[in-house]
Amino acid sequence: MENNQKLVHAFHEALGIDSNLIKDNLTYQSIPEWDSISHMILISQLEEDFNVSIETDDVIDLSSFKKAREILIKLGINF
Amino acid sequence: MGLIKRIKEIESFQIIDEVSGKRYKFNDLPEVSWASESQGLVFCYLDNSFESISFLLKALESRHVLVLLSKTLSNNFKDALEGIYFPNYIFDASRSEISTYTKIGSVLYYKISVKQHVLHSDLKVLLSTSGTTGSPKLVKLSERNLLTNAEAIAAYLPISNTDIVPLNLPVHYSYGLSVLTSNAISGATVCAGSLDVMSKGFWENFQKYQYATIAGVPYVYEMLDRIGFTKMDLPSLRYFTQAGGKLRDDLVKKYGTYAIEKDKLFYVMYGQTEATARMSYLDPSALLTHIGSIGKAISGGRFKVHPETSELLYEGPNVFGGYAETLEDLGSFEAPDFLNTGDLAIIDENGFIFITGRSKRIAKVFGNRINLDELESYVSQHFSDYFACVGWQDKTIVIFSTNDHCQPKDIIDWLSKEYKLHPSSFKVMSIQSFPLTANGKIDYSTLTRAYDN
Repeated sequence: MENNQKLVHAFHEALGIDSNLIKDNLTYQSIPEWDSISHMILISQLEEDFNVSIETDDVIDLSSFKKAREILIKLGINF
Repeated sequence: MGLIKRIKEIESFQIIDEVSGKRYKFNDLPEVSWASESQGLVFCYLDNSFESISFLLKALESRHVLVLLSKTLSNNFKDALEGIYFPNYIFDASRSEISTYTKIGSVLYYKISVKQHVLHSDLKVLLSTSGTTGSPKLVKLSERNLLTNAEAIAAYLPISNTDIVPLNLPVHYSYGLSVLTSNAISGATVCAGSLDVMSKGFWENFQKYQYATIAGVPYVYEMLDRIGFTKMDLPSLRYFTQAGGKLRDDLVKKYGTYAIEKDKLFYVMYGQTEATARMSYLDPSALLTHIGSIGKAISGGRFKVHPETSELLYEGPNVFGGYAETLEDLGSFEAPDFLNTGDLAIIDENGFIFITGRSKRIAKVFGNRINLDELESYVSQHFSDYFACVGWQDKTIVIFSTNDHCQPKDIIDWLSKEYKLHPSSFKVMSIQSFPLTANGKIDYSTLTRAYDN
């Protein structure tokens, strides 16, 4: 699976929302499905799917779909 | 003496609205225009915004009886509850109109009730036994319950009248409400509109307002651990509290060690809505030598363990006045001699209490207390079939099904929508038939073992 698709899939799984809602402007707490609980689940999902370890600072920094991609790029994932 | 009367006498008590940055003393809070002089029943669908906190305090000051509920409760649950209790007033920012009610404030609705409410003179506040499920079962509390519990909490926590305290737990939840009341009677400043701990803004405001404390249920402490709380530089933090279920022993140790190293105080506490909020706390000086203990009773309270059942029993002025499940129940208020906590416990030779298990069919998922029998009948009713549910390790609710025409995904989707819980909180397991105990009841322990495997 291409990495962008993989990222959309991770969000879809963790937040339980339709893939077509997952866009760059999707931000933490902008929808009820992205709350603190699903955020924790999302972080684990990303770590598992991309085989990376997300640093503590980045857990809070990862506050949008766009930001998630930036953090993964920083961790060496190509988009 | 009343709770609000007491709060109004405390000069230093203030509320900061984090959204506008404004500060309010009690007397500056916007007045609420009630539609009638007579006492009524008020449904308060709350979040932790300034509007909600301010309304809550003004409603507590009024002669009305309040039911505190979550603003995010699903509309089905709201309708069902309103259909049982016929509130005269509804405070709800999430609906723009409510059928048969007249809008009398920006988010306040009124109706002359067709039902005659008989409200017991001791009854002041009703809290839900579960934050998310909209169960009609409510806990009846008096103003004396609220005040005595707030006083007992303020007596052991190191609250100072210069503290700034975020309201990061919902105030319709007994623990969150106790953070508000215990700090208010101590003259601290509380922050409305606080964000949750996973938001960057929460930590920015932590520095901006110099929060003195944080309160959290176990999953909040799980999150704090994931974001490296013990490595953060938080000089304004003096103490932090945990209640609402059992925190993992290794995390208790980690936070306890952090607290000692950084000269802060960590309080592990125990309570229940039926006890207004708090029943016990573990003194920070005893924490590391008594990991897993819920400590000892708060001032004015006393525990004993039932000699035959091992159930933990509690007595004190904060014990509730019974449950309400119907409108008629609002006319009575009778505190039991002892509160049956539903938890099994042992008390060691030095008086420290350790919870060893649970006798009631209650699951805790992400800090939400779920009555499994209610969930079971709710899901069975909706899908017109019989399901059996068990809680697993306070993480997951497992729904056992004996038919294959109900798709697990449909059940999980529906439950997570209704209960506002993450889909991963539910698992559906299909089985041939339900195991039964000798007296013909569902054998839940066999089901739990089946899921373990």
